[in-house]
Amino acid sequence: MNAAPAISASQFDGRNPADEHAPIRIAARELNFYYGQFHSLKNINLDFHDRQVTALIGPSGCGKSTLLRTFNRIYSLYPEQRAEGQVLLDGQNVLDANVDLNELRSRIGMVFQKPTPFPMSIYDNVAFGLRLYEKLPKSELDGRVESALRKAALWDEVKDKLKQSGMGLSGGQQQRLCIARTVAQSPEVILFDEPTSALDPISTGRIEELIEQLRSEFTIVIVTHNMQQAARISQFTAFMYLGEVIEVGPTNRIFMNPTVRQTQDYITGRFG
Amino acid sequence: MPGHIVTSYDTDLEDLRRSISEMGGVAEKMMTEATDALVRRDTQLAQAVILADKRLDTLQREIEERSVLLIARRQPMAIDLRETISAIRVSGDLERIGDLAKNIAKRVVAISDQAQAQKIVLGVQHMSDLVQEQLKDVLDAYASRDVSAAHNVWERDGEIDALYNSLFRELLTYMMEDPRNISFCTHLLFCAKNVERIGDHTTNIAETIHYLATGENLAGDRPKNDASNYATVTPGA
Repeated sequence: MNAAPAISASQFDGRNPADEHAPIRIAARELNFYYGQFHSLKNINLDFHDRQVTALIGPSGCGKSTLLRTFNRIYSLYPEQRAEGQVLLDGQNVLDANVDLNELRSRIGMVFQKPTPFPMSIYDNVAFGLRLYEKLPKSELDGRVESALRKAALWDEVKDKLKQSGMGLSGGQQQRLCIARTVAQSPEVILFDEPTSALDPISTGRIEELIEQLRSEFTIVIVTHNMQQAARISQFTAFMYLGEVIEVGPTNRIFMNPTVRQTQDYITGRFG
Repeated sequence: MPGHIVTSYDTDLEDLRRSISEMGGVAEKMMTEATDALVRRDTQLAQAVILADKRLDTLQREIEERSVLLIARRQPMAIDLRETISAIRVSGDLERIGDLAKNIAKRVVAISDQAQAQKIVLGVQHMSDLVQEQLKDVLDAYASRDVSAAHNVWERDGEIDALYNSLFRELLTYMMEDPRNISFCTHLLFCAKNVERIGDHTTNIAETIHYLATGENLAGDRPKNDASNYATVTPGA
């Protein structure tokens, strides 16, 4: 029996295999995070591979959103929050004091749980970031806006009403508008913080389809409470609990055959 | 393992386990009784075996339906998913075991009026005893999730194949000795083949236990000693 070769689920990843040899785009190294006195992230070491979707799962308060928030230093808006250690983006520590935050955030885009369109036209929502960083002639700006809306799978639905307010779109469309706004900056990494938890199943399906397409261009990190979603759209999954990474690996292995007991208890709905 | 936060999920899985264990009990009993009926040419017992198969079929359909519902409702993950898939697989094997035992019972009815030397039947009985032990062991291994016990069953299947092979030759010899043996021995040969296939289903269950416990499917060949596919016996040789 020992001689028999084993077959495991990870052989059947089809068109979305986890590529463990893909270059590392972001790496957390001995990363600690504090909300005032509260030690929220404890010595995180985690790699995020290029053009792969990595899902962060774990119960509320485990630190997965906090981890996301350190990558583009969005936490630094709040004086009592601080990070120690390193977050390496292409080898450069983004936590260094001399990092230009605006540039960092154009390289690492973020999409939130609730759609956050600006109170302006659809066109201006997407052009907003572009105008901030670049002085582009009108024709080129038009092209970039269209391209971003196409990548966000929204173009066909809004091409005839670009001057209308972004606030008038449905929830799912608003979320895709936010993705278009992020994509327009040509970031290297896109962070999704529960991007579909406020959406209906059809809009959720569209966003999932979109994330799969975006993977060919961007490195994607997604925080989700929907385990099946993590299983469907990610190549890697990291399970976090109480501020620590408990287990990380190819998604199919984590969901079929996790090695750590806590991971199994969580994904099977046994967690206390 | 701690229970699920949703306690009815535990109840669903527990129900699956209980149905599998009931199926196992019915299949075991059918096989024992089919063999006894064959040895004693007891048609009444054979009829009881034939009737018992209905219960097994019903249980299998129930398990399948419940597993499908569980997947739809709860989207099981990891060990729960493997447990659900294993229940479908094992119930399929047990249902087939029941069919094969039933087929032995039908043959008992067919040959009940033929007076033959008892020694011809003893070989099949001996083989059936071995397979019954295998079936019991594999069902225990399933209930206790005991991978090493399942591995033992898996490896012992070679003995049964070897036994079937020698029985095959023995029955051919009887047939050549006296053509009046042919009808009886042919039925016996099919009974022996059924027992051998029941052995195969027990090893399938052993493989499922391995999957259930480790998350990996066993591939490759298990020890095979059945050469009867190639066996011939020439009269007078």
